Amino acid sequence: MTGRPASVDTDPHPYFTVYSAGNFGEVAPQRLSPMSWSLVGDPMERGTRALARRLWGRPAWAEGGHYVFVGYFGCRPYHNLAAYCHLSASIPGLQPSDVTDAYFEGVDSPAELTALRSGRTRQWAGSARLLREMRDAGPRLRALEEQVAELEWGLRAATTTNSPIALAGVLRDAQPVLEEAWAVHILTTSGLVPVRALQRRVYGKLLRHGEEIAHWLTRPRELVWDRLHTAAATLDPHGPGDFLSSSFYEVADGLAPWQDYAVRHKQVASGGTEAAVAPIDPAEALAGMVSPWRSRTVRALAVAVGEMMAGREHSKSLAMRTLHIYRRLLPALATSFGEDAERLWPYLTLREFTDLATSPGRIERARPRVGACRAALATPMPEHLDLSAGDDVMRPWLSTTPQEQRGVAPGIGTGTVMAPQDDLPDEPVIIVCSSADADIAPLLPFAEGVLSERGSDLSHIAILAREYGIPCVVGYPGAASLPAGTAVSINGSTGEVNIFDRS
Amino acid sequence: MNVLILGGSGFLGTAVARACVRSGATVRVLSRSGRATEGEGVRGDVRLPRLGLSAADLARVRSETTHVVFCFGSVSWTSGPGEVLETHSSGTRSALAFLRELPHLRQAVHVSSLLALGRSEGRITNRELYTGQRFRNWYEYGKYCAERLVRDTPELPVGVVRFGPVLGPDPRGGRPDTRHGLPMAFPHLLAGYPVHLARRGDFPCWITDVSSAAEIVLKALDTPIGRATWTWFDPALPTLGEVFTEVCRPWGVVPKIVEAAPLGRFTRLIGERVGTPRELADYAEPWLDLDVDVLKDIPEPWPVPDPDYLGATGEALRAGRASTETLRAGTESPRAGTESPRAGTERRALS
Repeated sequence: MTGRPASVDTDPHPYFTVYSAGNFGEVAPQRLSPMSWSLVGDPMERGTRALARRLWGRPAWAEGGHYVFVGYFGCRPYHNLAAYCHLSASIPGLQPSDVTDAYFEGVDSPAELTALRSGRTRQWAGSARLLREMRDAGPRLRALEEQVAELEWGLRAATTTNSPIALAGVLRDAQPVLEEAWAVHILTTSGLVPVRALQRRVYGKLLRHGEEIAHWLTRPRELVWDRLHTAAATLDPHGPGDFLSSSFYEVADGLAPWQDYAVRHKQVASGGTEAAVAPIDPAEALAGMVSPWRSRTVRALAVAVGEMMAGREHSKSLAMRTLHIYRRLLPALATSFGEDAERLWPYLTLREFTDLATSPGRIERARPRVGACRAALATPMPEHLDLSAGDDVMRPWLSTTPQEQRGVAPGIGTGTVMAPQDDLPDEPVIIVCSSADADIAPLLPFAEGVLSERGSDLSHIAILAREYGIPCVVGYPGAASLPAGTAVSINGSTGEVNIFDRS
Repeated sequence: MNVLILGGSGFLGTAVARACVRSGATVRVLSRSGRATEGEGVRGDVRLPRLGLSAADLARVRSETTHVVFCFGSVSWTSGPGEVLETHSSGTRSALAFLRELPHLRQAVHVSSLLALGRSEGRITNRELYTGQRFRNWYEYGKYCAERLVRDTPELPVGVVRFGPVLGPDPRGGRPDTRHGLPMAFPHLLAGYPVHLARRGDFPCWITDVSSAAEIVLKALDTPIGRATWTWFDPALPTLGEVFTEVCRPWGVVPKIVEAAPLGRFTRLIGERVGTPRELADYAEPWLDLDVDVLKDIPEPWPVPDPDYLGATGEALRAGRASTETLRAGTESPRAGTESPRAGTERRALS
């Protein structure tokens, strides 16, 4: 994991030295335990590398013993911003800003290393392969869903019989599923960026107000979260929705110090009060305004992007469900590995943990990491990291263009402020949060809008808000600290936010 | 009667305010500028909670208002969904929410448009709203959304009054606005350019004049209309061709109306370069098949549209031009009865 004794940090990439918490920062806890990192960062890295290899061959910069696309510094997970921006240069017509707008809150992209740029032919061939990969994402997701369900059943059987052998069997079977889940997640996440850029460009050509319409039309038709929340309502501890009551990404959320970072909101049971007649969708309204072939093209693109968004959320939920299997499996197995393991397993990697069965001495590796992690957790880590100096000092990557709040789901919403953990008042509410994870989904049918401190065009919260057709503004500093009862109006098309005094 | 007019500084809103004042009602006009030609002006914004009223205004409005008129909203046929839905959808929703907080509310009237029915098939009465129609532009969709929202609030005493295009001299004075809606065609016609209309414009366009439209709104408040829907148009039923001819008459211009589909396509393609937006070309075909008996839902006596309001519209366009010219010439006193054209920021309601 690391060459330096007193640190759990990963080695930075030699060329791509700008990192950003980006999308990790929104849904993942601030800090991850080494075990969670090995369940998240490791398979993500492998999935991205495999994808890059399939698309563009074996670029030298994506090889080597260090992490390329992700990083783990001071117990905080990061994406390699420079590497992702470089990937965007490998797709014709895509700008680095498309990537940063989509997932990295619109920070400045680092300067491109033109020497590493791939040739035109390779770029176009890679895009064709990417399209093919995206076409196959649906079947892959369905197969994966089956495997995850099987694992959940396996875990249920192993827990009821309380057999360590059966638990170890589940641990063994879970690994390929986890890798596949992250691989599909990487595919849908990265595929969404060029498809959306294409959509914007085509709309700009075909339609008046193309950009605006892209906002209104692109909505995932069905997100997986609804189904999972319904499943969670059965309170089945081995059901598919059980993971929703625990933190995203962190598997050691029962143990100090990691539980402090695994913040969970309260769940609210949903009940339905809906409008009598559903108004026509803007997408349908558009159909009469343009010629049939334009309308077909526009709608096909909107559906494609909407489905990609749904696929992305689906793959994320599957990765979360697999992680949840680990969350239950690892403590149960750790007890059979002895008292030390029970306490120290969050400091091991998955590989080391699996090896404990045959070589119990591996537990010694965890001991120095306890201190290292404690020191790392005491150090504040910046959102965006610039390691270009190469002197082990964590400098923040500063954006020269000011980041401003942005509307990511269209419409206007007004209401009083409500935090996700509060009780639902009778009046219209705007949900305010610092960042959002899946648990916000059951609140959305009752909300007039969402105002978030963090987020980007394609973040989880933006996609959820689109699904429910409510406006969403992200990147509004201090949103979560607005006092309850403040009246707020947000404009999800322009990103405008108005705060009123309660009168 | 204490009337609150939302969007009362616009074209139709001003006429409604004037009609209400004339009938002896207390009139309060809500607009973003806070200015009003008639009645008391209140600064506010329909998109905001509690209409964005200041605490003092809010207390007065709440305790006194008995009647409300919805006259707000973007009237541009060319704007995108964001701008249109901002007022017509979000604005209507928050205005309806505000109605729930009015303890003395007796009647509210939502001014809708026949264009909300878009390209409908079949005969239209006051009952229909969604007939599987296709919309020509986002304005039509916005008006549809607004009426949908109003119809979905059975607990509120909100009636709907539908108009076609509303013409006539601007009650606020000055040159009529030709930037939005049907009047966008007037400069084009007056300049002598040919215009393609199916059947050479021999189809009804459900037009009315602004003062009789305002009378109808007042009647809806007064009767009261309840939760019903009324549709009003000039019972003389001028065709679109006649409307164009009458508006051009004071200029001594005969509009060149031709039935030439290629010209329509041409307009659609490059019309924008000569100031004829593509959206206008969508109205060159007969609009919708409205049952003329819908007028009978309105209790008699009906208001009588001003005689020659179409000619007066053309006249106002001329007067506006003349006053601009006199101002340019540096003359101190513009002609009586005309004002200088307003700066082009205000939206004027057309329908």
